[in-house]
Amino acid sequence: MDNNIELQNVSKKYKDFELKNISFNVPQGCIVGLIGENGAGKTTTIKSILNITKSGGTVKIFGKDSKKNEKEIKEEIGVVLDDSFLSEYLTAKQVNSIMKDFFKTWNENKYINLLKQFNLPTDKLIKDFSSGMKMKLKIATAISHNPKLLILDEPTSGLDPVVRNEILDIFRKYIEEDETRSILLSTHITTDLEHISDYIVFIEKGKIIFNLPTNELLENYGIIKCSKEDFIRLDKKDYITYQKGKYQYEVLTNDKSLIRSKYNITTIDKTSIEDIMLFYIKGEK
Amino acid sequence: MIKGLLKKDLCNLATYKTSLIIIILFCGIAIIGTESITIAPAIICGIVGMISLSTFSYDEISKSNKYILTLPTDRKELVKEKYILAIVATLLGGILGMVLTIIVVNIMNYLRLENIISLDYKSLVISTMGGIFAISFLQAVQIPSIYKWGAEKGRIQMFILVLIIVAILGGIYFLINKTNINVDMEMIKNFINKFGVWILITSTIIMYFVSYKISYKIYKNKE
Repeated sequence: MDNNIELQNVSKKYKDFELKNISFNVPQGCIVGLIGENGAGKTTTIKSILNITKSGGTVKIFGKDSKKNEKEIKEEIGVVLDDSFLSEYLTAKQVNSIMKDFFKTWNENKYINLLKQFNLPTDKLIKDFSSGMKMKLKIATAISHNPKLLILDEPTSGLDPVVRNEILDIFRKYIEEDETRSILLSTHITTDLEHISDYIVFIEKGKIIFNLPTNELLENYGIIKCSKEDFIRLDKKDYITYQKGKYQYEVLTNDKSLIRSKYNITTIDKTSIEDIMLFYIKGEK
Repeated sequence: MIKGLLKKDLCNLATYKTSLIIIILFCGIAIIGTESITIAPAIICGIVGMISLSTFSYDEISKSNKYILTLPTDRKELVKEKYILAIVATLLGGILGMVLTIIVVNIMNYLRLENIISLDYKSLVISTMGGIFAISFLQAVQIPSIYKWGAEKGRIQMFILVLIIVAILGGIYFLINKTNINVDMEMIKNFINKFGVWILITSTIIMYFVSYKISYKIYKNKE
Protein backbone atom coordinates (compact mmCIF):
# COMPACT_ATOMS: atom_id res chain seq x y z
CA MET A 1 0.00 0.00 0.00
CA ASP A 2 1.39 3.42 -0.95
CA ASN A 3 1.59 6.14 1.63
CA ASN A 4 0.43 9.67 1.04
CA ILE A 5 2.35 10.86 4.11
CA GLU A 6 5.52 9.38 5.61
CA LEU A 7 6.97 10.91 8.75
CA GLN A 8 10.43 9.85 9.90
CA ASN A 9 11.79 11.04 13.26
CA VAL A 10 10.11 14.41 13.10
CA SER A 11 11.32 16.48 16.05
CA LYS A 12 10.79 20.00 17.22
CA LYS A 13 12.01 21.71 20.34
CA TYR A 14 10.32 24.67 22.01
CA LYS A 15 11.21 26.25 25.34
CA ASP A 16 8.65 24.24 27.26
CA PHE A 17 7.73 21.46 24.86
CA GLU A 18 9.45 18.93 22.67
CA LEU A 19 8.16 16.80 19.83
CA LYS A 20 10.28 13.66 19.92
CA ASN A 21 11.00 11.49 16.89
CA ILE A 22 7.50 11.24 15.52
CA SER A 23 7.25 8.56 12.84
CA PHE A 24 4.07 7.29 11.20
CA ASN A 25 2.47 6.87 7.79
CA VAL A 26 -0.82 7.86 6.27
CA PRO A 27 -1.61 5.18 3.68
CA GLN A 28 -3.72 5.79 0.59
CA GLY A 29 -7.42 5.14 1.04
CA CYS A 30 -7.17 5.53 4.81
CA ILE A 31 -8.28 7.95 7.48
CA VAL A 32 -5.67 8.32 10.19
CA GLY A 33 -6.70 9.89 13.46
CA LEU A 34 -4.14 11.82 15.44
CA ILE A 35 -5.25 11.92 19.04
CA GLY A 36 -3.91 13.34 22.26
CA GLU A 37 -4.85 15.87 24.87
CA ASN A 38 -4.48 19.61 24.25
CA GLY A 39 -0.81 20.51 24.02
CA ALA A 40 0.29 16.91 23.34
CA GLY A 41 1.89 17.82 20.00
CA LYS A 42 -0.83 17.18 17.44
CA THR A 43 -0.81 20.67 15.96
CA THR A 44 2.99 20.83 16.00
CA THR A 45 3.05 17.54 14.07
CA ILE A 46 0.61 18.94 11.51
CA LYS A 47 2.56 22.19 11.26
CA SER A 48 5.73 20.14 10.65
CA ILE A 49 4.01 18.14 7.91
CA LEU A 50 2.86 21.34 6.24
CA ASN A 51 6.23 23.00 6.67
CA ILE A 52 4.65 25.86 8.65
CA THR A 53 7.18 25.26 11.38
CA LYS A 54 10.78 24.24 11.00
CA SER A 55 11.44 20.80 12.40
CA GLY A 56 13.98 18.01 12.23
CA GLY A 57 13.48 14.66 10.53
CA THR A 58 11.92 13.89 7.17
CA VAL A 59 8.44 14.37 5.88
CA LYS A 60 7.49 12.81 2.58
CA ILE A 61 4.20 13.60 0.95
CA PHE A 62 3.16 11.59 -2.13
CA GLY A 63 6.68 10.14 -1.92
CA LYS A 64 8.33 13.55 -2.33
CA ASP A 65 10.34 15.57 0.15
CA SER A 66 7.90 18.09 1.58
CA LYS A 67 10.48 20.87 1.88
CA LYS A 68 11.96 20.57 -1.60
CA ASN A 69 8.63 20.20 -3.42
CA GLU A 70 6.52 22.41 -1.19
CA LYS A 71 4.41 24.27 -3.76
CA GLU A 72 3.87 21.24 -5.98
CA ILE A 73 2.75 19.15 -3.00
CA LYS A 74 0.47 21.83 -1.61
CA GLU A 75 -1.40 21.95 -4.92
CA GLU A 76 -2.74 18.51 -4.01
CA ILE A 77 -3.47 19.02 -0.33
CA GLY A 78 -6.57 20.42 1.28
CA VAL A 79 -6.15 21.79 4.78
CA VAL A 80 -8.62 22.71 7.48
CA LEU A 81 -7.30 24.47 10.55
CA ASP A 82 -9.49 25.00 13.56
CA ASP A 83 -8.30 28.53 14.32
CA SER A 84 -7.17 29.95 11.01
CA PHE A 85 -8.61 30.76 7.59
CA LEU A 86 -8.10 33.23 4.73
CA SER A 87 -9.87 36.09 6.49
CA GLU A 88 -12.94 36.64 8.62
CA TYR A 89 -13.77 39.72 6.56
CA LEU A 90 -14.50 37.94 3.30
CA THR A 91 -17.63 36.38 1.88
CA ALA A 92 -17.84 32.81 0.55
CA LYS A 93 -18.10 34.31 -2.94
CA GLN A 94 -14.85 36.24 -2.48
CA VAL A 95 -13.17 33.07 -1.15
CA ASN A 96 -14.02 31.39 -4.46
CA SER A 97 -12.50 34.22 -6.46
CA ILE A 98 -9.31 34.18 -4.34
CA MET A 99 -8.86 30.40 -4.31
CA LYS A 100 -9.09 30.28 -8.11
CA ASP A 101 -5.78 32.13 -8.13
CA PHE A 102 -4.14 29.73 -5.70
CA PHE A 103 -5.11 26.36 -7.17
CA LYS A 104 -4.74 25.40 -10.81
CA THR A 105 -7.31 22.66 -10.29
CA TRP A 106 -9.86 24.77 -8.39
CA ASN A 107 -13.35 23.54 -9.30
CA GLU A 108 -15.71 26.49 -9.03
CA ASN A 109 -18.83 24.39 -9.73
CA LYS A 110 -17.93 21.93 -7.03
CA TYR A 111 -17.39 24.77 -4.54
CA ILE A 112 -20.71 26.45 -5.39
CA ASN A 113 -22.53 23.10 -5.13
CA LEU A 114 -20.92 22.42 -1.75
CA LEU A 115 -22.02 25.84 -0.51
CA LYS A 116 -25.57 25.02 -1.62
CA GLN A 117 -25.38 21.57 -0.05
CA PHE A 118 -24.22 23.08 3.25
CA ASN A 119 -26.75 25.95 3.07
CA LEU A 120 -24.01 28.55 3.29
CA PRO A 121 -24.78 32.12 2.21
CA THR A 122 -22.46 33.50 -0.46
CA ASP A 123 -22.67 37.20 0.38
CA LYS A 124 -22.44 37.19 4.16
CA LEU A 125 -19.15 37.98 5.90
CA ILE A 126 -17.50 34.89 7.38
CA LYS A 127 -17.16 36.61 10.74
CA ASP A 128 -20.96 36.54 11.02
CA PHE A 129 -21.13 32.76 10.39
CA SER A 130 -21.78 30.31 13.24
CA SER A 131 -18.92 27.93 14.22
CA GLY A 132 -20.58 25.11 12.27
CA MET A 133 -21.00 27.27 9.17
CA LYS A 134 -17.38 28.42 9.37
CA MET A 135 -16.19 24.84 9.59
CA LYS A 136 -18.36 23.76 6.66
CA LEU A 137 -16.97 26.64 4.59
CA LYS A 138 -13.41 25.63 5.49
CA ILE A 139 -14.16 22.06 4.44
CA ALA A 140 -15.84 23.15 1.19
CA THR A 141 -12.76 25.27 0.47
CA ALA A 142 -10.40 22.43 1.32
CA ILE A 143 -12.00 19.87 -0.99
CA SER A 144 -12.95 22.02 -3.98
CA HIS A 145 -9.67 21.53 -5.81
CA ASN A 146 -10.03 17.73 -5.52
CA PRO A 147 -6.97 17.21 -3.33
CA LYS A 148 -5.41 13.78 -2.90
CA LEU A 149 -4.85 14.42 0.77
CA LEU A 150 -6.83 16.20 3.44
CA ILE A 151 -5.13 17.42 6.60
CA LEU A 152 -7.59 18.47 9.24
CA ASP A 153 -6.68 20.00 12.57
CA GLU A 154 -9.53 19.74 15.08
CA PRO A 155 -12.26 19.99 12.44
CA THR A 156 -15.07 19.06 14.84
CA SER A 157 -14.12 20.91 18.00
CA GLY A 158 -16.78 23.24 19.34
CA LEU A 159 -19.49 21.82 17.06
CA ASP A 160 -22.78 20.26 18.08
CA PRO A 161 -23.30 16.51 17.42
CA VAL A 162 -25.58 17.08 14.40
CA VAL A 163 -23.03 19.27 12.57
CA ARG A 164 -20.20 16.94 13.65
CA ASN A 165 -22.04 14.02 12.10
CA GLU A 166 -22.64 15.93 8.87
CA ILE A 167 -18.97 16.79 8.68
CA LEU A 168 -17.87 13.21 9.30
CA ASP A 169 -20.18 12.15 6.47
CA ILE A 170 -18.40 14.57 4.15
CA PHE A 171 -15.07 12.96 5.05
CA ARG A 172 -16.46 9.46 4.47
CA LYS A 173 -17.76 10.45 1.03
CA TYR A 174 -14.49 12.16 0.16
CA ILE A 175 -12.52 8.96 0.84
CA GLU A 176 -15.04 6.73 -0.92
CA GLU A 177 -14.85 8.80 -4.12
CA ASP A 178 -11.21 7.88 -4.79
CA GLU A 179 -9.15 5.12 -3.18
CA THR A 180 -5.88 7.00 -3.57
CA ARG A 181 -7.07 9.75 -1.25
CA SER A 182 -6.36 9.90 2.45
CA ILE A 183 -7.17 12.00 5.48
CA LEU A 184 -5.07 12.89 8.47
CA LEU A 185 -7.40 14.14 11.14
CA SER A 186 -6.27 15.49 14.47
CA THR A 187 -8.80 15.70 17.24
CA HIS A 188 -9.35 15.36 20.91
CA ILE A 189 -12.95 14.28 20.32
CA THR A 190 -12.06 10.64 19.96
CA THR A 191 -15.62 9.32 19.52
CA ASP A 192 -15.60 10.80 16.02
CA LEU A 193 -12.68 8.62 15.07
CA GLU A 194 -14.23 5.34 16.22
CA HIS A 195 -16.67 5.64 13.35
CA ILE A 196 -14.45 6.76 10.52
CA SER A 197 -10.74 6.17 11.14
CA ASP A 198 -8.63 3.25 9.96
CA TYR A 199 -5.63 3.99 12.15
CA ILE A 200 -5.13 5.84 15.40
CA VAL A 201 -1.89 7.57 16.30
CA PHE A 202 -1.83 8.59 19.94
CA ILE A 203 0.58 11.35 20.94
CA GLU A 204 1.32 12.25 24.52
CA LYS A 205 3.86 14.84 25.69
CA GLY A 206 5.39 14.99 22.21
CA LYS A 207 5.88 11.23 21.88
CA ILE A 208 3.94 8.57 20.02
CA ILE A 209 2.37 6.20 22.54
CA PHE A 210 0.83 3.92 19.93
CA ASN A 211 0.01 3.75 16.24
CA LEU A 212 -2.56 1.02 15.64
CA PRO A 213 -5.43 0.06 13.37
CA THR A 214 -8.69 1.30 14.93
CA ASN A 215 -10.32 -2.17 14.74
CA GLU A 216 -7.42 -3.78 16.55
CA LEU A 217 -7.55 -1.10 19.20
CA LEU A 218 -11.24 -1.48 19.86
CA GLU A 219 -11.17 -5.29 19.69
CA ASN A 220 -8.05 -6.09 21.70
CA TYR A 221 -8.01 -3.39 24.32
CA GLY A 222 -10.21 -3.80 27.35
CA ILE A 223 -10.71 -2.66 30.91
CA ILE A 224 -10.41 -5.38 33.51
CA LYS A 225 -12.54 -4.71 36.55
CA CYS A 226 -11.18 -6.77 39.40
CA SER A 227 -10.56 -7.02 43.13
CA LYS A 228 -7.26 -6.17 44.78
CA GLU A 229 -6.42 -9.90 45.02
CA ASP A 230 -6.95 -10.42 41.30
CA PHE A 231 -5.01 -7.27 40.51
CA ILE A 232 -1.99 -8.49 42.53
CA ARG A 233 -1.99 -11.69 40.46
CA LEU A 234 -1.60 -9.72 37.24
CA ASP A 235 1.83 -9.67 35.70
CA LYS A 236 2.94 -6.07 35.01
CA LYS A 237 3.73 -6.86 31.40
CA ASP A 238 0.15 -8.03 30.80
CA TYR A 239 -1.45 -4.69 31.44
CA ILE A 240 -0.75 -1.10 30.47
CA THR A 241 -1.97 1.04 33.37
CA TYR A 242 -4.47 0.78 36.19
CA GLN A 243 -6.71 3.07 38.16
CA LYS A 244 -7.60 2.28 41.75
CA GLY A 245 -11.30 2.78 42.44
CA LYS A 246 -13.11 2.82 45.77
CA TYR A 247 -14.20 -0.83 45.56
CA GLN A 248 -12.24 -2.28 42.68
CA TYR A 249 -9.29 -1.93 40.37
CA GLU A 250 -9.71 -0.91 36.73
CA VAL A 251 -6.88 -2.15 34.58
CA LEU A 252 -6.23 -1.39 30.92
CA THR A 253 -4.98 -4.29 28.85
CA ASN A 254 -4.17 -4.53 25.18
CA ASP A 255 -4.85 -8.27 25.05
CA LYS A 256 -8.26 -9.22 26.38
CA SER A 257 -8.04 -12.86 25.29
CA LEU A 258 -4.71 -13.36 27.06
CA ILE A 259 -6.15 -12.03 30.32
CA ARG A 260 -9.16 -14.33 30.02
CA SER A 261 -7.11 -17.42 29.35
CA LYS A 262 -4.15 -16.76 31.66
CA TYR A 263 -5.95 -15.38 34.71
CA ASN A 264 -9.47 -16.65 34.22
CA ILE A 265 -10.84 -13.12 34.64
CA THR A 266 -14.07 -12.64 32.75
CA THR A 267 -15.12 -9.11 33.66
CA ILE A 268 -13.38 -7.23 30.90
CA ASP A 269 -15.26 -4.26 29.51
CA LYS A 270 -15.03 -2.98 25.94
CA THR A 271 -13.12 0.26 25.72
CA SER A 272 -13.59 3.41 23.78
CA ILE A 273 -10.63 5.32 22.37
CA GLU A 274 -11.33 7.96 24.99
CA ASP A 275 -11.01 5.37 27.79
CA ILE A 276 -7.73 4.16 26.37
CA MET A 277 -6.43 7.71 26.13
CA LEU A 278 -7.49 8.50 29.68
CA PHE A 279 -5.88 5.34 31.06
CA TYR A 280 -2.62 6.14 29.33
CA ILE A 281 -2.64 9.70 30.64
CA LYS A 282 -4.11 9.26 34.13
CA GLY A 283 -3.40 5.63 34.94
CA GLU A 284 -0.59 4.25 37.11
CA LYS A 285 1.82 1.49 36.28
CA MET B 1 -0.23 33.09 -6.20
CA ILE B 2 0.65 36.72 -5.47
CA LYS B 3 -2.52 37.60 -7.39
CA GLY B 4 -4.57 35.56 -4.91
CA LEU B 5 -2.85 37.22 -1.96
CA LEU B 6 -3.43 40.67 -3.43
CA LYS B 7 -7.05 39.86 -4.08
CA LYS B 8 -7.51 38.75 -0.48
CA ASP B 9 -5.99 41.96 0.87
CA LEU B 10 -7.95 44.16 -1.53
CA CYS B 11 -11.19 42.43 -0.51
CA ASN B 12 -10.29 43.14 3.12
CA LEU B 13 -9.50 46.76 2.32
CA ALA B 14 -12.84 47.22 0.54
CA THR B 15 -14.26 48.11 3.97
CA TYR B 16 -12.31 51.39 3.70
CA LYS B 17 -14.24 52.51 0.59
CA THR B 18 -16.45 55.00 2.44
CA SER B 19 -13.56 56.33 4.53
CA LEU B 20 -11.57 56.91 1.36
CA ILE B 21 -14.40 58.86 -0.27
CA ILE B 22 -14.70 61.00 2.89
CA ILE B 23 -10.93 61.64 2.88
CA ILE B 24 -11.02 62.68 -0.78
CA LEU B 25 -13.93 65.06 -0.07
CA PHE B 26 -12.09 66.41 2.96
CA CYS B 27 -8.97 67.01 0.88
CA GLY B 28 -11.03 68.75 -1.81
CA ILE B 29 -12.43 71.09 0.84
CA ALA B 30 -8.93 71.57 2.29
CA ILE B 31 -7.61 72.62 -1.14
CA ILE B 32 -10.45 75.14 -1.48
CA GLY B 33 -9.85 76.45 2.05
CA THR B 34 -6.07 76.66 1.99
CA GLU B 35 -5.56 77.21 -1.74
CA SER B 36 -2.55 74.95 -1.32
CA ILE B 37 -1.57 72.56 -4.09
CA THR B 38 0.68 70.42 -1.86
CA ILE B 39 -1.82 69.38 0.77
CA ALA B 40 -3.92 66.70 -1.03
CA PRO B 41 -1.12 64.50 -2.46
CA ALA B 42 0.59 64.37 0.94
CA ILE B 43 -2.59 63.55 2.89
CA ILE B 44 -4.09 61.04 0.44
CA CYS B 45 -0.78 59.34 -0.22
CA GLY B 46 -0.16 59.12 3.54
CA ILE B 47 -3.58 57.75 4.40
CA VAL B 48 -3.82 55.29 1.51
CA GLY B 49 -0.24 54.15 2.12
CA MET B 50 -0.89 53.53 5.79
CA ILE B 51 -4.31 51.92 5.18
CA SER B 52 -2.56 49.34 3.00
CA LEU B 53 -0.66 48.22 6.08
CA SER B 54 -3.87 47.56 7.98
CA THR B 55 -4.04 44.27 6.04
CA PHE B 56 -1.52 43.03 8.60
CA SER B 57 -4.13 43.59 11.31
CA TYR B 58 -6.75 41.72 9.29
CA ASP B 59 -4.30 38.84 8.91
CA GLU B 60 -3.56 38.88 12.61
CA ILE B 61 -7.25 38.86 13.63
CA SER B 62 -8.03 35.92 11.33
CA LYS B 63 -4.63 34.24 11.93
CA SER B 64 -4.62 33.94 8.15
CA ASN B 65 -0.90 33.54 7.63
CA LYS B 66 -0.93 30.08 9.18
CA TYR B 67 -3.65 29.03 6.76
CA ILE B 68 -2.09 30.77 3.77
CA LEU B 69 1.14 28.86 4.36
CA THR B 70 -0.82 25.65 3.74
CA LEU B 71 -1.70 26.89 0.24
CA PRO B 72 0.62 26.61 -2.78
CA THR B 73 2.62 29.71 -1.92
CA ASP B 74 5.60 30.47 0.31
CA ARG B 75 6.88 33.04 2.79
CA LYS B 76 8.79 34.93 0.10
CA GLU B 77 5.60 35.53 -1.90
CA LEU B 78 3.74 36.58 1.22
CA VAL B 79 6.31 39.25 2.03
CA LYS B 80 6.63 40.33 -1.59
CA GLU B 81 2.87 40.80 -1.87
CA LYS B 82 2.77 43.10 1.17
CA TYR B 83 5.44 45.32 -0.38
CA ILE B 84 3.71 45.37 -3.77
CA LEU B 85 0.49 46.43 -2.05
CA ALA B 86 2.21 49.09 0.07
CA ILE B 87 4.15 50.56 -2.87
CA VAL B 88 1.20 50.55 -5.28
CA ALA B 89 -1.11 52.05 -2.61
CA THR B 90 1.37 54.84 -1.88
CA LEU B 91 1.89 55.63 -5.56
CA LEU B 92 -1.83 55.54 -6.28
CA GLY B 93 -2.46 57.75 -3.26
CA GLY B 94 0.04 60.29 -4.59
CA ILE B 95 -1.42 60.18 -8.09
CA LEU B 96 -4.97 60.45 -6.74
CA GLY B 97 -3.91 63.47 -4.67
CA MET B 98 -2.35 65.13 -7.72
CA VAL B 99 -5.37 64.48 -9.93
CA LEU B 100 -7.69 65.77 -7.21
CA THR B 101 -5.59 68.92 -6.84
CA ILE B 102 -5.59 69.54 -10.60
CA ILE B 103 -9.36 69.04 -10.84
CA VAL B 104 -10.22 71.17 -7.79
CA VAL B 105 -7.83 74.00 -8.72
CA ASN B 106 -9.10 74.08 -12.30
CA ILE B 107 -12.73 74.18 -11.13
CA MET B 108 -11.82 76.95 -8.65
CA ASN B 109 -10.01 78.93 -11.34
CA TYR B 110 -12.96 78.48 -13.70
CA LEU B 111 -15.41 79.71 -11.08
CA ARG B 112 -13.28 82.50 -9.58
CA LEU B 113 -11.63 84.24 -12.46
CA GLU B 114 -10.64 87.17 -10.21
CA ASN B 115 -8.55 84.93 -7.92
CA ILE B 116 -6.54 82.49 -10.03
CA ILE B 117 -4.46 79.91 -8.15
CA SER B 118 -1.23 79.21 -9.93
CA LEU B 119 -0.98 75.50 -10.68
CA ASP B 120 2.74 74.89 -10.75
CA TYR B 121 2.99 71.31 -11.98
CA LYS B 122 6.67 71.02 -11.05
CA SER B 123 5.95 71.96 -7.43
CA LEU B 124 2.96 69.62 -7.42
CA VAL B 125 5.05 66.69 -8.65
CA ILE B 126 7.93 67.46 -6.28
CA SER B 127 5.63 67.82 -3.27
CA THR B 128 3.87 64.57 -4.23
CA MET B 129 7.24 62.85 -4.48
CA GLY B 130 8.18 64.25 -1.10
CA GLY B 131 4.95 62.81 0.33
CA ILE B 132 5.61 59.46 -1.32
CA PHE B 133 9.15 59.47 0.08
CA ALA B 134 7.93 60.22 3.62
CA ILE B 135 5.31 57.45 3.50
CA SER B 136 7.82 55.05 1.95
CA PHE B 137 10.15 55.77 4.84
CA LEU B 138 7.41 55.03 7.37
CA GLN B 139 6.40 51.87 5.53
CA ALA B 140 10.00 50.74 5.16
CA VAL B 141 10.39 50.98 8.92
CA GLN B 142 6.93 49.74 9.83
CA ILE B 143 6.70 46.58 7.71
CA PRO B 144 9.75 44.86 9.25
CA SER B 145 8.54 46.07 12.69
CA ILE B 146 5.20 44.36 12.09
CA TYR B 147 6.91 41.16 10.98
CA LYS B 148 9.08 41.27 14.06
CA TRP B 149 6.59 42.34 16.74
CA GLY B 150 3.13 41.89 15.20
CA ALA B 151 0.63 44.44 13.88
CA GLU B 152 -0.24 46.02 17.24
CA LYS B 153 3.17 46.10 18.93
CA GLY B 154 4.83 46.84 15.58
CA ARG B 155 3.12 50.24 15.44
CA ILE B 156 4.59 51.29 18.80
CA GLN B 157 8.01 49.94 17.87
CA MET B 158 7.81 51.82 14.57
CA PHE B 159 7.23 55.13 16.35
CA ILE B 160 10.18 54.37 18.62
CA LEU B 161 12.35 53.53 15.60
CA VAL B 162 11.25 56.70 13.77
CA LEU B 163 12.01 58.74 16.90
CA ILE B 164 15.46 57.16 17.15
CA ILE B 165 16.17 57.90 13.47
CA VAL B 166 14.96 61.51 13.83
CA ALA B 167 17.04 61.87 17.01
CA ILE B 168 20.14 60.57 15.22
CA LEU B 169 19.62 62.97 12.28
CA GLY B 170 18.94 65.82 14.73
CA GLY B 171 22.07 64.85 16.65
CA ILE B 172 24.19 64.96 13.50
CA TYR B 173 22.76 68.40 12.65
CA PHE B 174 23.42 69.57 16.22
CA LEU B 175 27.00 68.25 16.12
CA ILE B 176 27.69 69.98 12.80
CA ASN B 177 26.43 73.25 14.31
CA LYS B 178 28.34 72.78 17.56
CA THR B 179 31.63 71.83 15.99
CA ASN B 180 31.43 74.83 13.67
CA ILE B 181 31.99 72.74 10.59
CA ASN B 182 31.53 75.01 7.64
CA VAL B 183 28.68 73.72 5.52
CA ASP B 184 28.16 75.45 2.24
CA MET B 185 24.34 75.74 2.27
CA GLU B 186 24.29 77.26 -1.19
CA MET B 187 26.13 74.27 -2.57
CA ILE B 188 23.71 71.88 -0.83
CA LYS B 189 20.74 73.84 -2.21
CA ASN B 190 22.13 73.66 -5.74
CA PHE B 191 22.86 69.98 -5.33
CA ILE B 192 19.29 69.30 -4.15
CA ASN B 193 17.82 71.34 -7.02
CA LYS B 194 19.89 69.40 -9.51
CA PHE B 195 19.71 65.88 -8.11
CA GLY B 196 16.88 66.08 -5.50
CA VAL B 197 14.33 64.15 -7.54
CA TRP B 198 16.79 61.39 -8.36
CA ILE B 199 17.95 61.22 -4.76
CA LEU B 200 14.32 60.83 -3.65
CA ILE B 201 13.60 58.11 -6.21
CA THR B 202 16.84 56.22 -5.56
CA SER B 203 16.57 56.40 -1.79
CA THR B 204 12.91 55.30 -1.93
CA ILE B 205 13.87 52.25 -3.99
CA ILE B 206 16.81 51.45 -1.69
CA MET B 207 14.64 51.87 1.42
CA TYR B 208 12.01 49.48 0.13
CA PHE B 209 14.61 46.99 -1.04
CA VAL B 210 16.50 46.93 2.27
CA SER B 211 13.22 46.83 4.18
CA TYR B 212 11.98 43.88 2.05
CA LYS B 213 15.21 41.96 2.68
CA ILE B 214 14.93 42.55 6.44
CA SER B 215 11.23 41.62 6.50
CA TYR B 216 11.83 38.41 4.56
CA LYS B 217 14.70 37.44 6.82
CA ILE B 218 12.53 38.01 9.91
CA TYR B 219 9.53 36.19 8.49
CA LYS B 220 11.59 33.29 7.12
CA ASN B 221 12.80 32.50 10.61
CA LYS B 222 9.52 33.17 12.34
CA GLU B 223 7.55 30.27 13.82
